[in-house]
Amino acid sequence: MKKRSMISFVLMGALSLALAGCGEDDTANGSSGDSGGEKEKLRLVTDGAYAPMEYLDNGEITGFGIDFAEAVVEEAGYEADIEVIGWEPIFVEIEGKTADLAVSSITINDERKETYDFSVPYYLSTNMIMVPEDSDVESGEDLKGKKIAVLNGSTGQEAAETIAGENSTDVLKFADNNLAIQELLAGGADAVIADNTIVEYYTQMNPEQKLKVVPDDDFAEEFYGILFPKGSELKADFDEAIKAIIDNGTYTEIYQEWFGNEPDLEALKAQQE
Amino acid sequence: MDFRMDLIIDYMPFFLKGALYTIGVSLVGILLGTILGLLIGMGKIMRNKLLALPFILYITFFRGTPLFVQILLIHFGLIPLVLGQTNAIVAGIVALTLNAAAYIAEIFRAGIQSIDRGQMEAARSLGQTHVQAMRYVILPQAFKRMVPPLGNEFIVLLKDSSLLAVITVPELMYWGRAFQGQYYKIWEPYLTAALIYLILTLSMSYLLGRLEKRLATE
Repeated sequence: MKKRSMISFVLMGALSLALAGCGEDDTANGSSGDSGGEKEKLRLVTDGAYAPMEYLDNGEITGFGIDFAEAVVEEAGYEADIEVIGWEPIFVEIEGKTADLAVSSITINDERKETYDFSVPYYLSTNMIMVPEDSDVESGEDLKGKKIAVLNGSTGQEAAETIAGENSTDVLKFADNNLAIQELLAGGADAVIADNTIVEYYTQMNPEQKLKVVPDDDFAEEFYGILFPKGSELKADFDEAIKAIIDNGTYTEIYQEWFGNEPDLEALKAQQE
Repeated sequence: MDFRMDLIIDYMPFFLKGALYTIGVSLVGILLGTILGLLIGMGKIMRNKLLALPFILYITFFRGTPLFVQILLIHFGLIPLVLGQTNAIVAGIVALTLNAAAYIAEIFRAGIQSIDRGQMEAARSLGQTHVQAMRYVILPQAFKRMVPPLGNEFIVLLKDSSLLAVITVPELMYWGRAFQGQYYKIWEPYLTAALIYLILTLSMSYLLGRLEKRLATE
């Protein structure tokens, strides 16, 4: 008798979980209807742990991506509240249409395009390898059998898994890039694979930690885009606005302010066609 | 929203491997935490207040700061200091053990102090030393009273082991998050993880219930 009540308890638990799932499904569909209201204040979300792209400086969100986002929102004739919500929640909120757009160094790829819409590209990036200065790693191939720390769900993870194999235990997936870099510094990983912007900026900012950056030509060029829910009406306006600020020099101005050099506008424009 | 059962089935080996790690680190944490907790609990009730101070400070720190913070401190700070490099599994076990020990120490203290003063006096008047009285009279009775709160603590520890995902201990939640990062799905990985955690905690409370029954004297 005792045993039976135990089993029915487990079943009840499973059932209530399943029901909870269904309930949420309904509300997600219901709320998609009212997100079409135009020219209202947009909810722009970002990760905020990705210096120098988007990061918190004394609690204020700042970075190249943020300055870019503000310029493009203004150009497109909207207003937006920028909210820091972390990396993984971005995909949940955009898919659930509880946020209107995300600017968070999000690489445009086919897998993501299935579920989301992207603006035209606004930034060119490649993944790079970060290793201690005395490391003998010269390319991605040398990382076989070594521990690689990455950001969970990032393209750096994809690059690492191409080398080590999918779901390999040699790939350590962290919730943000800083933790991945800490793991490298503490000796638990042999390398970090992340966007060049992050890797170069961190290496430059922390010379005493004796790190170096190793490029790998096999890592594909990546382009960042603004992320929208599938079928968003905002996309057209923002595509125009991105092209406009690239043409009127605002983009170059922001780029130089943050990176101190000229953006490769040709590569960006070629990709926007 | 379509629920992708096929992805869950594909990913099941990782969930199961993760569940094994969850069970492993939790059991080791429970075992070491109980031993350490007993020692610290005894330390705290020493009559010499100066000697008891380190134990009181230990409990204050580990009970007064979030486990999440302790995990990061131990993984990126303590373990590299001792081993020369990080080791997520060692750091995870150390963090769970140290944290649980603080709570378990308080459970032991409460258990011991709940035994009537007259018991100790009677044992001492029969010629037993303080240690003998503890060993043969007080602790056996106290232990029985400690089982329900201890069981509670074990279940909390098992669930808290999910926090170890941040330092990449390959336990259940780590794979849940990896699944989420790979497919950008929420319900599939986290409901599966929740269900497995539920099975684990239910099994544990079942075993603890059996233990309580065996210890029942009436």
